[in-house]
Amino acid sequence: YFTMLNLTSASASFQACQSEKHLGQFYTLPSAHFRPLFPHGLPYRYQQQVKTFNEACFMVRPPALEVISYLKKADYSKPALRYLFYGVKGSGKTMSLCHAVHFCYTQGWVVLHIPDAHLWVKNCKELLPSSYNSARFDQPLQATTWLRNFRTTNEHLLSQIKTKRRYVWTKRESTDEGRPLGELVNQGISRVKSSSDVVGALMKDLRLQSSQPGADFRLVVAVDGVNALWGRSTIKKENKSAVDLEELTLIHNLKKLMKNDWTGGAIITTLSQTGSLYTPKSAYLPQELLGETGFDSMDPFIPVSVPNYSEKEFESAYLYYLDRKWLQHPQSRTEDGKKELSFLSSKNPSMLDRICGFL
Amino acid sequence: MESTAKKRRCSFNKDWETTYHWVKPVQGDSQRVFCEVCQSSFSVSHGAPERSGREFGSRKPRREEGEPRTEKMPLDQDWTAVYPAATPFRAGSVPLPVRMGYPMKGGVPPEKKGNLELIKIPNFLHLTPAAIKKHCEALKPFCTEWPSALDTDAKCDEHFPIKVECTDYVSSGLSVRNPSARIVQLKVKLSILNLDDHARKKMLKLVGERYCKDTDVLTITTDSCPLRQQNYDYAQYLLTVLYHESWKTEAWEAEKTVADMEEYSWEGSPSQKNIMDMLLRMKVAGEGEGEEVQEQLLARSEVQEYKDSVTRLKNEGDNESSVLQYKEAVKKVFNL
Repeated sequence: YFTMLNLTSASASFQACQSEKHLGQFYTLPSAHFRPLFPHGLPYRYQQQVKTFNEACFMVRPPALEVISYLKKADYSKPALRYLFYGVKGSGKTMSLCHAVHFCYTQGWVVLHIPDAHLWVKNCKELLPSSYNSARFDQPLQATTWLRNFRTTNEHLLSQIKTKRRYVWTKRESTDEGRPLGELVNQGISRVKSSSDVVGALMKDLRLQSSQPGADFRLVVAVDGVNALWGRSTIKKENKSAVDLEELTLIHNLKKLMKNDWTGGAIITTLSQTGSLYTPKSAYLPQELLGETGFDSMDPFIPVSVPNYSEKEFESAYLYYLDRKWLQHPQSRTEDGKKELSFLSSKNPSMLDRICGFL
Repeated sequence: MESTAKKRRCSFNKDWETTYHWVKPVQGDSQRVFCEVCQSSFSVSHGAPERSGREFGSRKPRREEGEPRTEKMPLDQDWTAVYPAATPFRAGSVPLPVRMGYPMKGGVPPEKKGNLELIKIPNFLHLTPAAIKKHCEALKPFCTEWPSALDTDAKCDEHFPIKVECTDYVSSGLSVRNPSARIVQLKVKLSILNLDDHARKKMLKLVGERYCKDTDVLTITTDSCPLRQQNYDYAQYLLTVLYHESWKTEAWEAEKTVADMEEYSWEGSPSQKNIMDMLLRMKVAGEGEGEEVQEQLLARSEVQEYKDSVTRLKNEGDNESSVLQYKEAVKKVFNL
């Protein structure tokens, strides 16, 4: 019940893999896809695992399959649908998100992947007053890193999409209408001061364009840790008062994206307690983490529960580790050892990963 | 015994045994004598036993303690006779193998004999059910009969909705008065009172902690006045005032915000706006204008289901089942 399904770059075989027959099985991402698609966005431990095993394997699990089936069935002339992965810590929400994002990538969509919205509301070293709107604050460093990653992911599409409006950055610099988006992105990366505004302009443009009936691309917005958008921030202004989330340009633009007033795409998000500020550790249900305002803005959305491994999935993960010779301890190969692992980790994916790391 | 010029120590003399029956010789020491009364020996080197005044007649002999009463208690005895009033714990009178105290290392709590812990604490051995029955029998001549028509709780509630509770205290002491006797507790069910929606909400806010949601009972406890009658009047006054005030609407009540609302109402909430927007944009109902379209949309079953699930989620908070219900409702709206 565990086989490695090898993917070729042909999307047809990939499609075949995403059916319910393959629940619990692993499929490998071709390395040609891996590097551009996930420069950011995967959990840290998983990235290390990829480096060790020299391959990136995803397990096919029901939550991701569910969202992928909705994505296939959805009508893209209607407003964008919002999906929310929720579950206890370490149950595989980020991985499910990446799985769904990979599916969209193979379909040729533009991927707007924000690895962790919590990173934008805390530990900000530089806070500039925004050039566009003086009441707001810019975060140049975060914006430039994100733009760089965005460029790596969507290289091939950026040259095809053209801007629809004219953007003026400073007295001397401006981007005209009809220029490829790639130029816009490069502008943001090179001129660090205006990078947050570039991010905002990019989001607006993509949103407008995918709504057009004649658009030839679709947009997927994937945000990890979306509850950061409606929580609190720990960034302080110079007079030591806390910054309100509305005053951050990046957050403001992202919130505009989350509203479903555009068509031709989907919004896939996850909740995350791990990075979130001022929330109790045991909170994992949508309303607790999103809060009243968050729920009202995200409403109506489709909550998808990501549970811990089932028996079959646990077996599959265990056999995968065995196959890759990750479990070195002789007792881990026995039935008793397997039961012990199952009990110790209580079938939680991240716990299992950590425990197997010791063996 | 001769007393010569030269002093010498006296020693045991056989004659003493006949004269004083309580005297016995001590083995190995002729200068000491054993007294059977106080079970101890003393020296007689200074003279005959009679000279040591401490023994003879000045101390009552300690009698042996008999069997504790517990051994002789029959099983069907009258316990109220053993403990007729509140008395401290008597180990010999209580036939229970009670242990109390901190167990030292490797040991058990000490037994009841001579246990100060059991004596210190108040006990209710004088208030067993049998004793209470006797008290009730004694009080019966002073009571009037319960009305035979009021045999169920429901009937009592119907005819006498307001229940007033006061306590009388009896004690023997310098004064018969007890300050706790002034406390009056008034209980009433809110369903009896004629309150409309606004009045009920206002009443609940005014009353706060005194209302129990599970039994729908409002309890007013008054103890601020020194006399019981005054407290009773005050409680009645409070009830009247609460009722009348909750019917009035003040000018500042119009400033009630969403945060003040007790429960979530879907009409006019952002959730309703969102879904209306979405459905209009999806052009589900076909082309139409304004009000009719809205009503049409509202009447659809999916929208009703969605409304139910959102209300449930907001009122109850999060739990797995309510989130699943919400998910099903949203899927239906989008026809997934």
